[in-house]
Amino acid sequence: MRGAPVRHERSIGSRRRVRVGPLFRKSIQMTAELQSYTIDPVQEPAEREDVRRFLAVCGLDYEAGVQAFVVFRRGNALVACAGLEKNIVKCAAIAPDLRGESLGLTLLTEVSHLAHERGHSHLFLYTKPDCVEFFRACGFYLLAEVPDLVALMENTPIGIRTYCDRLKRLRQPGATIGAIVMNANPFTRGHRYLVERAAAACDWLHVFVVAEDVSLISYRDRYALVSAGIADVPHTTLHHGSEYMVSRATFSAYFLKEKGLVENCCTAIDLLIFRNHIAPALGITHRFVGTEPFCPTTFKYNADMREWLMGDVSPAPTVEMVEIARTECEEVPISASEVRRLLAADDFAHIRRLVPPATLQLLEAKYRAPRISAA
Amino acid sequence: MKIVREALAGTLESSDLMVRIAPREGELAIVLQSEVIHQFGPQIEAVVRGCLAKLGIAEALVVIEDKGALDCVIAARVQTAVSRAVDAWTADWSVLS
Repeated sequence: MRGAPVRHERSIGSRRRVRVGPLFRKSIQMTAELQSYTIDPVQEPAEREDVRRFLAVCGLDYEAGVQAFVVFRRGNALVACAGLEKNIVKCAAIAPDLRGESLGLTLLTEVSHLAHERGHSHLFLYTKPDCVEFFRACGFYLLAEVPDLVALMENTPIGIRTYCDRLKRLRQPGATIGAIVMNANPFTRGHRYLVERAAAACDWLHVFVVAEDVSLISYRDRYALVSAGIADVPHTTLHHGSEYMVSRATFSAYFLKEKGLVENCCTAIDLLIFRNHIAPALGITHRFVGTEPFCPTTFKYNADMREWLMGDVSPAPTVEMVEIARTECEEVPISASEVRRLLAADDFAHIRRLVPPATLQLLEAKYRAPRISAA
Repeated sequence: MKIVREALAGTLESSDLMVRIAPREGELAIVLQSEVIHQFGPQIEAVVRGCLAKLGIAEALVVIEDKGALDCVIAARVQTAVSRAVDAWTADWSVLS
């Protein structure tokens, strides 16, 4: 017997009976009723290990970032589960012998309500391309797909369309329309240089600031610094980022069994959404990036960009990728990661040379590393 | 009544529907997906619009994932979603059915 774990949230602990469709009554475990409930994997290790074993049987890895699972049991047997990491549905699986009996609809209903209770109405879901049809029936719509490997879906038929309709209103005329997506964590002289060079090469330049608030410098501050830092660059529009570009949703490392392949794909999904949806909405023909000497993630992203924006991998027009060599300070390329390193070392003498005055001011006022007081 | 927050009602089970409602300025936008849209699309939308009109909802975004629900179920789910999305319920239940 499993013990009754401590349950916390309102939804947690409501061990509710779920309507069982006529097909279920024919299945082997006729007498056992289907039960669903929510678990917190951190608080309930026994349940968590059960989920881990179940996912392994279904060919999926357990993902540590999942904050809550909806679990279905028939009798004592775990027969379906789905996890939530904020607004991303992960680790959704149904026991092989129960597939094709509409349990998926029940599972995704429960997940939708759980997510809503947790404050997330716009959901994303990664799956294998051959499951896209299944999740389509559960109210999820395809955003981008890397054939044979991975697909990203969202739970609204109008999500990306509404976003792109808003972008279309900001379209500018011209033959060469550029785009830069930057995290600007924080905004440096290097970012300024990249924007200047790109703007000079285009009829119009669209600059997006990554909106995901997981960086050292808050989104609000990053956006304000970029805004101040490029205000005088002509023919440039600054955009707020969105969940559709370099967000946890589009850029999530999704671990299926073939890890190497899927890690490749997480950049592919983000870049395909850019090429298939965002670039056509604004008429973007070129995407500009700075060369990346330090950060391996950005380096890889830049390398993948060539393939997914310019390769023969999508029916959408290609977006030319333009890599601009970073501007240097004393022969060292300026990079935000270097600024963060200097910030941690409280080396403001060096930071001063790499960032514009507004960034320096903000870093000194808000992000100065706490000094270790000499006792 | 005014839709002030996003709300969710219903399920994805057969013969039911899931209704999402969200604030929207200046228009009533209904996005309908249904297993039986070719046969009953206009009818479902008419039920949703009629129901919202009775509730005095003129501005909202309503996204529906229908699995072949009957009209009475559609109305019930829409009413529930609205009741969860408003601050104060002022409609008269007796005129809703």
